[in-house]
Amino acid sequence: MLFKIAWRNIWRNRTRSLVVIASVAVGLFAGMFMIAFVGGLAKQEIESTIETQLSHIQFHNPLFIDDKEITDTIANAGQIISQLKTNADVKAVTGRLITMGMVSSSSSASGVEIHGINPADEKAITSIARDIVEGSYFTGLKKNEVLKNEVLIGKKLAEKLGIKLHNKIVLTFQSKAGELTAGSFRIVGIFRSRNSMFDQMTVFTRFDELASLTGTGTSIHEIAVMLKDDQKVEASTLAFKKEYPALLIQTWKELSPQMAELTSLFDKIMYVLIGIILLALMFGIINTMLMAVLERQREFGMLMAIGMNKPRVFLMILFESIMLTCAGIPAGILFTIGSVDYLARQGVDMSAFSQALSQFGFSNIVYPELQQSMFLPVTLMTTITAILAAIYPAIKALRFKPAEAIHKI
Amino acid sequence: MNIIESHNLSKVYNPKTIPVNAVSGVDLSVEEGEFTALVGPSGSGKTTLLNLIGGLDYPTGGDVKIEGVDITQMSENKLIDFRLKNIGFVFQAYNLIPVLTAAENVEFVMLLQKTAKREREQRAIDLLTEVGLKDKIGKRPSELSGGQQQRVAVARALASKPRFILADEPTANLDSTSAENLLEIMAKLNKEDNMTFIFSTHDQRVIDKARRVVTLVDGKIISDTKK
Repeated sequence: MLFKIAWRNIWRNRTRSLVVIASVAVGLFAGMFMIAFVGGLAKQEIESTIETQLSHIQFHNPLFIDDKEITDTIANAGQIISQLKTNADVKAVTGRLITMGMVSSSSSASGVEIHGINPADEKAITSIARDIVEGSYFTGLKKNEVLKNEVLIGKKLAEKLGIKLHNKIVLTFQSKAGELTAGSFRIVGIFRSRNSMFDQMTVFTRFDELASLTGTGTSIHEIAVMLKDDQKVEASTLAFKKEYPALLIQTWKELSPQMAELTSLFDKIMYVLIGIILLALMFGIINTMLMAVLERQREFGMLMAIGMNKPRVFLMILFESIMLTCAGIPAGILFTIGSVDYLARQGVDMSAFSQALSQFGFSNIVYPELQQSMFLPVTLMTTITAILAAIYPAIKALRFKPAEAIHKI
Repeated sequence: MNIIESHNLSKVYNPKTIPVNAVSGVDLSVEEGEFTALVGPSGSGKTTLLNLIGGLDYPTGGDVKIEGVDITQMSENKLIDFRLKNIGFVFQAYNLIPVLTAAENVEFVMLLQKTAKREREQRAIDLLTEVGLKDKIGKRPSELSGGQQQRVAVARALASKPRFILADEPTANLDSTSAENLLEIMAKLNKEDNMTFIFSTHDQRVIDKARRVVTLVDGKIISDTKK
């Protein structure tokens, strides 16, 4: 009957209760939407980083990582790539020739990282082909004539150098022999990824053309691997490390520790925000419950007079607070599911902040994503908030003296 | 046999600031089956004495024994349990639980006593029938008149099978017909079930019905008349 009384009590002041239920629903929605938004942002950022730059796993000569010397190539790279292509967990694999150099236009120059790639293989690993905003992804042909020395550059770099599609640029770098070498390349495509820093610092040429200029032959600096299942990154990396102990094999988290840190930071920020929302919610519930208790002073006096003991009085107030909160939880969850489902398809347009977002490599459109596993902890946290919010009003009620409380108006 | 005995019972409010002697040195014995009215002007200490006898408040001096047990020495929690098992209350402002029906209000006390569901449902119906409210068992207090609510309160007081019932100005908010009905019900319960009633009242009709009238002035008993 305590449940029955508690449930009916919360409807004694319908408006007040509905306001609290609405604040619980809105608070819960705000918290969960925040999780979905930040979760979506983090996931997009990770996917973007993996697709644009890193892939899931990279193989290097251990010496290459520190100085990126052109001579620090992977031994037997062709054989390793062939073996990896037969691995059941591997979706795609490619080899890259990487060297640091200078790009020069007629008016200015800039330092860049030059990636010699196999266009067909690279297309299966990274999103560069999809990120082309002007021109095309290594056409290779013009009026049935095979084009040579094609280069893809980032939009940001093009703006910085004041160059356009089809302009020629000069790439200068060190050859295997230690000589300074230069090559003239025509811009056939301009890409814009989600990361403007990457766009400013990276250019792509064909592997063979770069290799012939550097004199490295078929040598490879980097093997990039994309797996079929991103949950198998750690396990596959361990297996590869056992198979190729002489190589430095790293997951995307190891290659970009700042990205892993960012994800962890997002999680922390998210919990702080939820904490603030729940704290505000708690004071709202305390206020309502306190008003309800003080208004019913005479009733509590009577209940204690006729023999209702203190634990029962406490429980009744606790039930009221929990029921009031629990009535708002389904509404909050449903509203969150509905809005996240819609926005996960439509995306949240953040183009008003595009410049700032781009600086950090974030996309203008954020697709919130809510993991179902979050429903239970958030619901539990909200229920705990309701329990904590009931404590002070309940203590207040327990302090009533029946003889005095009965005569309160 | 005395159900209630008080010796040199006192209650002083604001003892450290402006002391008010609400009850001063009251010696009172009430036997089983009595129908007693505590009368006196406003501020004479009737309600305070009733609160002390009912264990709703602690005295500043003296003691109250219910069937030989000194309730003034009990802890607050024990006193709540003692009230539940031994004392029925009827208050001036009815004080029913507004969100429960008449039957549920009567059942509530039995629920606190952990009476089985079927037994308490049947007893609630029996008691409401006894006070003439058989057709109102599903009504909430807001759907009942003042007199009907007070009769539910009497049924609730009886539900716990108390040793005695304390009623604080039970007719004060009732019209004369409702007051007459209520008094008749209580007189019948007293007569047929030997239920002990102690009232605080201003109401002459209650005083006329009472078989013993204890008059208080300034917290002291100035007369004690048995009819």
